Amino acid sequence: MAEGEERPPDRGAPLALSGPERGVLATLQRFPGESIPEEEVADRAGLPLDVVRGSLQRLRAKHLTLLEETTRDRTRLTRRGEEARSEGLPERRLIRAIAESPHKALDATEIDASGLDGEARSAAIGILRRRRLLEDGFPFRLKDGASETPEMPEERGLREIGDGVEDVDPDVVKLLVRRGLASVDHVSHKSWRPSEEGQRVPTSEDAADLLGALTPALLASDAWRTAAFRPYDVRAAVPYSGGARPHPYLDWLREFEEILIGLGFSQSEGPLLETEFWNADVLFMPQEHPARSIHDVLSVRGLHGRAPPSELLERVVAVHEGRPIPGETEPLGMGWRYPYDRAVAARPVLRSQTTAVSARFLAQHPTPPFRMYCVDRNFRYDPVDATHHIEFGQCEGVLGEESASLRHLIGIFRALAEAIGIREIRIRPSYFPFTEPSIEAYVRHPRLGWIEAMPGGMFRPEVLRPLGIEVPVAAWGIGITRLAMVSLGLSDIRELFQDDLARLTGQEG
Amino acid sequence: MPRATLSLRRIEALLPSRPGRARVEELLFVSKAQVEGGSGDELLVEGTADRLDLLTESGLGLYLQGATGSAVGLPPVERVGASTISIEVDASVGPIRPDLAAVEVRPPAGQTLESELLEEAIRFQELLHATLGLDRRLASLGIYPIERIRGPVRYALEPLDAVRFVPLDGDREIDATDFFGHHPMAARYGALGRRDDRCLVLRDAAGAVLSVPPILNSRGSGEARPGDGALLLESTGTRPSRVEDAVGLLSLVFIAHGWSVAEVPVAGPHHRSDGSGVVRPRSVQLSPATIARLAGAEIAPAEVTRLLEAARLGVHPLPHGWRVEVPPWRADILAPVDLVEELVLARGLRPEDGIVPPSATRGRRSPEAQFRAHVSDRLLGLGLIPLYTPVLVSERMTTLAGRAAAVTLANPVSDQFARMRDSLQLSLLGVLERNVRHGYPQRFSEVGPVLVVANGSESGADTRDHAGVLLAHDGAGFAEVAALADYLLRTFGTAGVREPAELPGTIPGRAAVLRLAGETVAEMGEIAPALLRELRVPVPAAWVEWDLSALRPLVERAR
Repeated sequence: MAEGEERPPDRGAPLALSGPERGVLATLQRFPGESIPEEEVADRAGLPLDVVRGSLQRLRAKHLTLLEETTRDRTRLTRRGEEARSEGLPERRLIRAIAESPHKALDATEIDASGLDGEARSAAIGILRRRRLLEDGFPFRLKDGASETPEMPEERGLREIGDGVEDVDPDVVKLLVRRGLASVDHVSHKSWRPSEEGQRVPTSEDAADLLGALTPALLASDAWRTAAFRPYDVRAAVPYSGGARPHPYLDWLREFEEILIGLGFSQSEGPLLETEFWNADVLFMPQEHPARSIHDVLSVRGLHGRAPPSELLERVVAVHEGRPIPGETEPLGMGWRYPYDRAVAARPVLRSQTTAVSARFLAQHPTPPFRMYCVDRNFRYDPVDATHHIEFGQCEGVLGEESASLRHLIGIFRALAEAIGIREIRIRPSYFPFTEPSIEAYVRHPRLGWIEAMPGGMFRPEVLRPLGIEVPVAAWGIGITRLAMVSLGLSDIRELFQDDLARLTGQEG
Repeated sequence: MPRATLSLRRIEALLPSRPGRARVEELLFVSKAQVEGGSGDELLVEGTADRLDLLTESGLGLYLQGATGSAVGLPPVERVGASTISIEVDASVGPIRPDLAAVEVRPPAGQTLESELLEEAIRFQELLHATLGLDRRLASLGIYPIERIRGPVRYALEPLDAVRFVPLDGDREIDATDFFGHHPMAARYGALGRRDDRCLVLRDAAGAVLSVPPILNSRGSGEARPGDGALLLESTGTRPSRVEDAVGLLSLVFIAHGWSVAEVPVAGPHHRSDGSGVVRPRSVQLSPATIARLAGAEIAPAEVTRLLEAARLGVHPLPHGWRVEVPPWRADILAPVDLVEELVLARGLRPEDGIVPPSATRGRRSPEAQFRAHVSDRLLGLGLIPLYTPVLVSERMTTLAGRAAAVTLANPVSDQFARMRDSLQLSLLGVLERNVRHGYPQRFSEVGPVLVVANGSESGADTRDHAGVLLAHDGAGFAEVAALADYLLRTFGTAGVREPAELPGTIPGRAAVLRLAGETVAEMGEIAPALLRELRVPVPAAWVEWDLSALRPLVERAR
């Protein structure tokens, strides 16, 4: 804010003036609109200058006074300049001495007798030689034709400066400064006037009796009936007041879920610790799939899981091994053509995909048409950095009905993207063991460019038939964490787990 | 996702005109491979596990032939009958690596093996080892010069001291004991090919060692070189489907350059094959009804034929559909649904083609989620800062708080995420520690899952919903958190009974549980000063935590 501008009315604090501040402000108030030099303020207020200066600065911090500062140059004579003014410039003295000598020449003895000491003598000789008034050589004599009373503008400068004349010829001043006979000081002159607010503040002695904070004791005393309250500077800074507000990521998730609910999807949930059967086997992922290794899936110590119901297990085993499902004559396909390990099915693992929730949902034999979604966290063996985290969120969904197709899946992806403000998506083929066809929708991040965010496809018959599902099922497992990062403009996945209280309350950016 | 660095020049050599990098990228966009980078002649291509054929120049070239229309239908493969080489599989390999598949490939007349083709084959071989073979565990491949082999070839488990050969990267003959003891490849893969004092060996009729599967070929009989003629491609492994797929994929490199194939008979104690299954195309039948059901649209028969032929498949119309021939390197096409995927992908996937399925009703949140939302809103209304923290917590915090029962990970990424919290208290204390510079008072909460050991449950532990609050300020104490505990139950129109308890992380005598209908629905207490000191927290703190999974059914029952 520039000096002279009134402060915008946005903050407040109690206003209190000390005695000197009140006196200084009262002095200024007698000259509204005028800027008064601080020396004059001190004089009129009858206070020492240093006290007045301090009070003026404090009043300025309270936005009650305004400062006008100007800088003036003041030229003065140095000590040598004063000597030159009173005794004459050294070169004048030398010329005089030469002119008054019997032979119009000065030898060494006569030089010493002239009173010119070493420095002044050298200066005089040098100047007269530069002005071509002095012959070279010794004894010193003036050149033929040289005046014995040459004009020397420095002499006028010395006189004028000594007399306090202000507008001395600047060239002459330069000469004198260069010769060390004068110096220029940059003098700052401060003038003060009250601000609009400062003009209004009461400064009478009575103001000292104004009441401060209203306390229970004051309230009970009735003293407030006969006294006024000191007005506050309501625009001064006050302590920051923060508070709880919805967590940005959770808030965003809630809004995202609303989109799905509006599309007719109902929520389902599942456990964070699964068995290998639900996490992978039932999804037609071969037990030797790389994504099931210890470098991808997190397992636990000391816990033992349970195999699924035997009827369901045998149906899943059959499709893995490329055999007909019990009760049927033809296999669904070639399967993975390997011996299924039933012991693996019961192993507990941290859920690595919410598709496990979809599998559990489908295993309940929902009546078509059905639409299910799940938004939850999963776990993968991933080092934690800006784009990876051991815990990541996924939005799972299934749509099962007679006409379900890839076009519906693409339509849902587009609707979800548009609903959260993402306009640019593109679709590519992909591969997942449990869907065919499989696709991946990419969304554009402002900084990271195109990122994979929405994988999905049509569940394979090898997934649906063991679960007793006869209709096509479109399914997806959206990387909700990535989508949230795009939508919230984040570049670091760790910010979703932000637990810095200052940031969560908005105190810091 | 698997990746490979390919030569653009070699890909373009399979096409009648050079499309250039930009065009190749554009054509690949609708495929399961995409160009991720590279400059000059190098293309860094990323693919998917089911289309490994696109991660070699030959396979990508065949695909682009179809995509550009320069060649369609099943790539021509000249089958020249049976190979001169057959392979006998000894019973001894059964327990360790029983499966084997092989094929012979022969160069076109007048040609021999070129160095670039051999280099491509070797690069692809290594990629297949890592991906399809799961680092050679399920399958591995070998390439051998037919002219330096005398059949039949025998695959058996032999004593180490009976196996002598010059390793492919060596220059002197060693025995297998020395090999397994010192060679770096044996150090990495030795366990896959050795059982006690015996190892797997491929040996020809002259007794020459061709290779020590799945580790290394030998020099001489086991080394294919530029200028060679026919080659034997062999795969051993522990999955019959994998070894067959591996040989099928590797043969693609040669077939794409006009090499013919000969069937290699394989005989063993448990199966006998004439080798035709490895090279002969598979047939999958497809009907219009299947297409309409899975693709969500009908596709004209002529377009079905065109698209599948462009995908380099053989298409033969039937009265009610098609019989589609699938080459051996397309292991991803197992069933009609896979052919539908080919059709859908070939037509292209455009966002504007999507349709939002109409719904007559609005969905809803789960009862558990609604309950959690109610609790979250009440806690926010009390001015408690809501948090979202990881379920995984550190070993250190678990120990400090005395919560030894928290489930332990067997393969944690780091100590920071080594346990699954069984109480939100662990996460809340972590937040308290990380905010010591924030100043006080601090009042925050979280509603989230915890994992509690439950013997007899399906996975050995139950996931439960909890809500927790932690208060830290000069006057934080038991009374305040107890009041919060009561408050939340009151919002459900109910009240519980407080009983003293000894709880981890709290001051003895200043902790309690809250019971409702005889069940514990909340815990609370003042945080122990020793714990606060460890966390460098300078003010008292108190905590309360509700078990929402226990509370919800009780509340609903009471309504």
